[in-house]
Amino acid sequence: MADLIQLLTNGLALGSVYALAAIGFVIVYSATGVVNFAAGQFVMVGTFAGVAMLLNAELPMPVGYTAALVVMALFGALFYLVVYLPLRRSPIVTVIIGTVAIGITLQNTALLTFGSWPFRLPSPFEGMMVEVAGAVISVHALAVVAATAVMILLLWLLLHRTAVGIAMRAVAQDVKAARLMGLRVQWLLAFSWILGAVLAGVAGLMLGPMWFADVNMGDPIALKAFAATVIGGFGSLPGAIAGGFFVGLAEVLGASYISSAYKDLIAFGVMILFLLVRPQGIFGEPIQDRG
Amino acid sequence: MALRALALAAFLAIGFALSLSVSEYSLRLLNLAAISATAVIGLNFAFGYAGLISLGHSAFMGLGAYILAILTTQAGWSPWLAALPAILGTGLAAILIGVPLLRLKGHYLALATLGLNVSFGIVAANWIEVTGGTNGISKIPGVSVLGHSLEGERPFLWLALVVIAVLAVAASLIQRSRYGRAMMAVRDDETAAAMTGINVTATKVAAFALSAVYAAVAGCLFAAHVHFISPDDFNFAHSITFLSMLIVGGEGTIAGAIIGAVLLTFLPEWLRVLGESYLAFFGLMMLAILIFMPTGIVGLLSRLRRPARSEAPAALVAPGEGARP
Repeated sequence: MADLIQLLTNGLALGSVYALAAIGFVIVYSATGVVNFAAGQFVMVGTFAGVAMLLNAELPMPVGYTAALVVMALFGALFYLVVYLPLRRSPIVTVIIGTVAIGITLQNTALLTFGSWPFRLPSPFEGMMVEVAGAVISVHALAVVAATAVMILLLWLLLHRTAVGIAMRAVAQDVKAARLMGLRVQWLLAFSWILGAVLAGVAGLMLGPMWFADVNMGDPIALKAFAATVIGGFGSLPGAIAGGFFVGLAEVLGASYISSAYKDLIAFGVMILFLLVRPQGIFGEPIQDRG
Repeated sequence: MALRALALAAFLAIGFALSLSVSEYSLRLLNLAAISATAVIGLNFAFGYAGLISLGHSAFMGLGAYILAILTTQAGWSPWLAALPAILGTGLAAILIGVPLLRLKGHYLALATLGLNVSFGIVAANWIEVTGGTNGISKIPGVSVLGHSLEGERPFLWLALVVIAVLAVAASLIQRSRYGRAMMAVRDDETAAAMTGINVTATKVAAFALSAVYAAVAGCLFAAHVHFISPDDFNFAHSITFLSMLIVGGEGTIAGAIIGAVLLTFLPEWLRVLGESYLAFFGLMMLAILIFMPTGIVGLLSRLRRPARSEAPAALVAPGEGARP
């Protein structure tokens, strides 16, 4: 029982990271129709923004976290200008390859800047543990789950209770109609990229203390975020959350109860099964055949 | 017809001249490019003709390579004999996978094939009794013809040139047959294709299986040339590279597949003069090529060759590009 509680907490914490990465991916996809294959590199950039601010610049934690997220917002805006705008009318395959190409650049730039040696990103709850029903649980894992819940709540309020958020949802539903209604579509699309990058940054800052900060961490995260997105439902935010938690739990529970070697096969097997049997995922894609 | 025969002769002549004149290191790269070209000519069936976005191409290459490696090292078969079950088995696997999977379109198909490639890697790395796990399979025998060993970079390149020539001619004949035209019709408009009596599912599965067969040939060449295979040789990044080669060269054309494979094999090497940052530049150059040469190198060349037609916008668009979802 104690083991199970520990595994569930770790699974939920890892799932939170995947969920945030998947949400960032979905926000960009539903607004712009771009299948961003650099989504995992966004998380990697977030982790290393944390490394730069907390370890290299030695900023105090609240300042360092804020600075890292500001860097991510700028990064999202840059990505919008350099990658999205030039490729926005290209066929889907060209966009996929283009985001992969820029992912290679991001990964190698990080390698040149930070080296191949992994970093240990500190947590505000470094070394703190609590005991719940005999299970020893790291406070960081609990904080990750709690922070993710807060992020999801804030995101919901943004999308449903603010003018910007409602305009973003309008753009996601129908770009032409949104433009005819006088919305400044290009600004809203840029804001989607910024929001997606900031969410990936939060995921990266949370993941840093759980894994080592390694320049090669992007691809595994991207693959898990894709699996989460497909399982939950392409383009659906509740789907990205449910899918993220499913993939995180499957990875942690599968590793200890089924086979550590084949733990990743569960997520991808379930993903392929969903594509075959229910391609719209648990929650379904709200908009058909866009992009 | 004459033009295609000329192109084939030119390809063989250039390849043969290069095999005699360049350094051992460049020969090694040319062989890798030739193996990639074999795979990319195959991918052209699935993506170029039938419009199926496959990010699992390198898994089929791996399947072919593993079947050949297991039969030669554990059962003692000759590579020529082992290539048959490797190629046919991979084609059969593609049919079995394709029937359920090819109902998916666009990015759904891309992610499903990507998941398939990742799953292949996980199984290859962990089914240790059969695949040797992450240690891979070593001591795969090389090939020989009539008692002459094709070891070494130069003789192997001759073999690869002949294989590519045969496969390119076959691909060209298929492209111009009713089956090739059916694939392109399905790519451009599924409903219209079905209206004219084309069996859409069978056409897609056939294109997918043909592409897997070519990938398996590439896998056999790879295994026999390098003598060692491991799961990393066939991970999903290679599938993305194959697709990049096809798009950079010019999708839907055999020449584009070959040009793209050669260019993207050599481009990182040429960029090595930039020092440690060469891969970062490689990514940026790829992005620039995609932005400024959307129809690939072959598309650019044909635009230069026919400037008079540039007034008609339709002539600028690669076949089927506008209709792809």
